[in-house]
Amino acid sequence: MPEWVITLLRSTGLFLLALFLVRLMGKRSTSSLTFFDFVTVIVIGVIIATLSLNLIPNGINGLVTLAVWTIFPALVYLLSIKYKAVRDIVHYKETVLINHGKILEDKLMKVRYTPEDLLSALRKKNIFNIDNVEFAVMEPTGDVSVLLKKGKQPITAKTTGMPVGMESVPQTVMLDGIIMDEALTAMGLNRQWLHTELEKVGVAPENVFIGQVDSGGQLYIDLFDDAVIVPAPKTKELAYVTLRKAQSDCEAYALATIDQDTKGMFANSAKILLEVANELEPWLKQ
Amino acid sequence: MTVASEVKQTLASLKGVASTLETFALHEENEESNELLTRNTQRVKEVIDYFEKRLATMEFEEPEYKGF
Repeated sequence: MPEWVITLLRSTGLFLLALFLVRLMGKRSTSSLTFFDFVTVIVIGVIIATLSLNLIPNGINGLVTLAVWTIFPALVYLLSIKYKAVRDIVHYKETVLINHGKILEDKLMKVRYTPEDLLSALRKKNIFNIDNVEFAVMEPTGDVSVLLKKGKQPITAKTTGMPVGMESVPQTVMLDGIIMDEALTAMGLNRQWLHTELEKVGVAPENVFIGQVDSGGQLYIDLFDDAVIVPAPKTKELAYVTLRKAQSDCEAYALATIDQDTKGMFANSAKILLEVANELEPWLKQ
Repeated sequence: MTVASEVKQTLASLKGVASTLETFALHEENEESNELLTRNTQRVKEVIDYFEKRLATMEFEEPEYKGF
């Protein structure tokens, strides 16, 4: 057999072995590698490369090294899941860099960070002013996580006291023109309903790229043909506007009526409708 | 437009809203939202009742405006 055929076979075998080993290592994404992961991966990579190029005189030695470097990390991972002490050694603990808005210089030294490094890490999080930071911590992976001071945090519906409608997860009922029966059933709907809804907006099922149903049973679709404009469902907005209109009508009737009882009835109706509109506003206006 | 026909129009749109809300309540699985929708549908229906009673009186007093 010529030399290159042997190399080919060896490399193919090692390639398959590497695929298997990577599976064995588990499912951590490359962006969250700890230093220990990093070392392991490099060692395994180098061993496989030297083996497949036959740089090691005795192939068995190489395979043994490979076995040690895959089995040990796998073992350490298993142990680290079970025991916190092992975890702290292998994965490091997180290091607090800024606490109560004050930079901890000794901790910075411990993780070998210069002030420039810290500033740059903060800038990556869109923070240009140290003063905005309440707390910052370096994760075991080397990323810096930051908690902003209360006043500098982005506003949420809760901090502004704004009521929000509860919304369940929308279901994707059509993908690439294919109807997802499972999702439809989960919403308590069927194909017949979907066809009717599509007919209402005048769209052929084959033309639908993505179709989603929200918690109120409204269908939102995106078409393959982007030249066709699909009207967005307006039922919710329409219901809200109609409520408001009816409320102001009631007020007008109350003003126009002379009979005291009737006047009271219309005024009361207006009041009820106003309450209804206010309560439903977050749900209907999403 | 007469008062009666205006009231009838408002009544019709209220009935529309009530049934829309009912449809939403049927679809909604989140309990909190469902409760919100059902409760408010009831309130709209209450107003519809007032309107219907008022219309009945109107039609009794002025039979010439009976019907649509």
